[in-house]
Amino acid sequence: MTVLSAEGLTVTLGRGAGAIPVLRDLSFRVGAGRVLGLVGESGAGKSMVGRAIAGNLPGGFGVSAGTLTFDGEDLVRIAPARRLALLGDRICFIPQEPQTALNPLMTVAAQFGEHLARLGVAKADRPSHMLAALDSVRLRDPASLLGRYPFQLSGGMCQRVLIAMAFASRPALIIADEPTTALDVSTQAHVVQLIRALQADHGTALLFITHDLRLAARVCDEMLVLYAGEMAERGPARAVMGAPRHPYTRSLKASNPTLTGPLRRLVSLPDQMPGIGSLRALPGCRFAPRCPVADAACGAAVPGMIELGGGHAVRCAPGCLAGAIGADAPGLAMPAVVARGAAPILLLEGVSKQYPGRRAWYGRRAPGLDAVCDVSLDVAPGEFVGIVGESGSGKSTLARLVMGLERPSAGRILVDGRDVTAANRGARVVRLGALQMVFQDPQSALNPRRSVARLVTQALEAADRPRDASDRTARAQELLRETGLPPDLLERFPSQLSGGQKQRVNIARALCVTPRLLVADEIVSGLDVSVQAQILNLLLDLRAEFGFALLLISHDLAVVRYLCSRVLVMHLGAVVESGEVAKVFADPRHAYTRSLLASIPPDDAAAAWPAAALRAAEPV
Amino acid sequence: MIARMVASPRVVLGAALVLVLAFVALFAPAIAPHDPAEQDLMFTLLPPAWDAGGEAMYPFGTDSLGRCLLSRLIHGTRVALYVAVVAAFGAMLLGTALALIGGYCGGRIDWLIGRAVDVWMAFPPVVLALILLVGLGTGVNMVIIAIIVIDWTRFCRVIRSEVLVVMKRDYIPAARLSGFSHVQVVLREVLPAVTPLVVTLLSLEMGIAVIVEATMSFVGLSVEADVAAWGVMIADARQFMNQSPWGVVLPMLAIFLAVFAFNLLGDGLRRTLDPRLMVARGPAS
Repeated sequence: MTVLSAEGLTVTLGRGAGAIPVLRDLSFRVGAGRVLGLVGESGAGKSMVGRAIAGNLPGGFGVSAGTLTFDGEDLVRIAPARRLALLGDRICFIPQEPQTALNPLMTVAAQFGEHLARLGVAKADRPSHMLAALDSVRLRDPASLLGRYPFQLSGGMCQRVLIAMAFASRPALIIADEPTTALDVSTQAHVVQLIRALQADHGTALLFITHDLRLAARVCDEMLVLYAGEMAERGPARAVMGAPRHPYTRSLKASNPTLTGPLRRLVSLPDQMPGIGSLRALPGCRFAPRCPVADAACGAAVPGMIELGGGHAVRCAPGCLAGAIGADAPGLAMPAVVARGAAPILLLEGVSKQYPGRRAWYGRRAPGLDAVCDVSLDVAPGEFVGIVGESGSGKSTLARLVMGLERPSAGRILVDGRDVTAANRGARVVRLGALQMVFQDPQSALNPRRSVARLVTQALEAADRPRDASDRTARAQELLRETGLPPDLLERFPSQLSGGQKQRVNIARALCVTPRLLVADEIVSGLDVSVQAQILNLLLDLRAEFGFALLLISHDLAVVRYLCSRVLVMHLGAVVESGEVAKVFADPRHAYTRSLLASIPPDDAAAAWPAAALRAAEPV
Repeated sequence: MIARMVASPRVVLGAALVLVLAFVALFAPAIAPHDPAEQDLMFTLLPPAWDAGGEAMYPFGTDSLGRCLLSRLIHGTRVALYVAVVAAFGAMLLGTALALIGGYCGGRIDWLIGRAVDVWMAFPPVVLALILLVGLGTGVNMVIIAIIVIDWTRFCRVIRSEVLVVMKRDYIPAARLSGFSHVQVVLREVLPAVTPLVVTLLSLEMGIAVIVEATMSFVGLSVEADVAAWGVMIADARQFMNQSPWGVVLPMLAIFLAVFAFNLLGDGLRRTLDPRLMVARGPAS
């Protein structure tokens, strides 16, 4: 039985002749007990679908054509009061940011109670309802949880509370918009599994919106790949993931680093998804400008959907469906393992960082927090070393210790054989000559008041050399070329750049005075897969050119596998396992490493996930 | 940047008003039809020229001693703007410097500056001003010192919290890692980020200084009684308000105009100087 169906749904910005179709001619159906995945990178318009269902399109946007039928009623033309009655009752949402979706000033009981009151549950029955609901999402000790505030809960716990609220009314349809993006990988596995289990139990139709192709293949029955507001490919999830046919889906799959199989250079699509402003200039296939197999005809007219059988359909020219993308990419020759005997560029000996607890104005200091405990590591010149761990594992603190932004409470740090543990002028000079860091979030790491030219040559400005401004401009142009940025960006400000461009500027700045060791803290975590592939390939190219070493901090094991030859796994501030990437990933020894690897959806679409071991070790 | 400023009606209107006021203040002797102290006892408490019984010789009428109101208003602009500019800049320099030091260094220094601001702000400003003026003696320069000593806290508190926001951004450690010294980081990374706020506060403070100066001259603690200032004019005209309300209304309008101009300019500048409000022109193709 179909719960939700869209027929030719088109959302435009503006009205009349000048209207820009942001979502173009979208058709899909979700049946009771089925899961439909909406997959796409940021800007694909996948959240726009959820907002069209909620009747909550941003100002200026409107549904201009098509129907959106929920249980026999057209949500596009429904009376606002009727829609309000449906939302939160028959149609529920699971949000992306669980901790911001809950009111920080209200206890769980107060918020849940409010929701139940709206559903018409009598006041006396609410506590038992809440306890049962929280129990069903496998939260331990629901009674004490009810009295707590959202900020006292972890992200995963908040998301479970929201899932419990979403399922409380036994809705016919649930829309989950990136429900696990803000969570750690191991939490993600549990939350996804929970949503699936509840959805199957209640026979709910689920619209699962995500950017993660691999995760969607695991969670969904059917999948719809969106590109710039247009349906690129749809079909059974296994078929789409296992044998994608659209050039975009194929490129997307080939630009995702894998955990198994041979290392191949990632396919990186040029540029990025067109923004709303440039859609008007793309009358034909919107993917054509980036498509590796497009011809002149693709840009002229919108291709029709080609049915491939079994519900699998692709919007593409018939001739473009075959041919390899990614498979013919050159094998990635990892540089011969660096002579580890050589003097390391970076050496950490038993480094710890303890943050003191707060001292009340009376009495004693509260116990401190061990952010990093007793970490030893060495990086040889030219070597790429990865540090993986979840949030709170101390990996970012470690980066700050290496860079001298924090001082260790114990241990020694040596750069190029010289002791830089103490925070003195000598240590700073040594670090400035050898180390550079790329920060996680370019939005925060780039001063919005500096032009690109002044950002990338910041180090020259600080050293006041060369004094001549034209020499600095020349260096800036060189850096833009090396990091693959067009030269006309020189006078732009960060607010005028795309996410990928900002990250390239961020990297270019670190390369201004070529470092011997680059510390990169989660530099691709905020980027779309195709842009991530560009940045990862850029790092490989830059290594070939400059031969620097890299300390890559990431939560993404596949990224570490792609770039690094050695890996350290951090958990609660300590290194629990380290060794060569191939060995650690193939044969993890520590239980934490095993659970970390198990929580990532495997590349093989047929393998069971989450693995039994992970299901057993379910945390709260 | 300039083009954006010109495009903002607030900046254009505010700057135009401020320029007019500055022009009037600079060329007061040339513009004013009469000497502001010149008495014409034949024509006391005249209404403005457009009112019944007005004289064309005195466009805005005269006060109880037959002095030309327009000329006194024009000369009063000099006192008002002098105090506004000097006092506001003084308070800005002191407050901003302490805010940057406290916010950037953190720790004990920040604690000390923060508590000093707290204690300072606990005093009622008018009482503090009166005490200061009794101690320092009266006079327009003493009023300026009093405004600086009292109002640096306005800058310090607001700008310090903005500095703390900027300090959380990764571009501050990034600048350190590029080799900037602490002083360079403060001047090149932190200060530009708070400049829009400083400019806004500066304009507001100029408006406040105009009001404080008028208040102090009203009670006779600012300029000498024979100098034309807006506060002095209101004080003089107060007794004859029933016969001739213009003597009170006109200087009040002048004060209003000056404060309005400064606030408008400050608000407009904040909007145009802040690149965070700059709309992205889309990615380069």
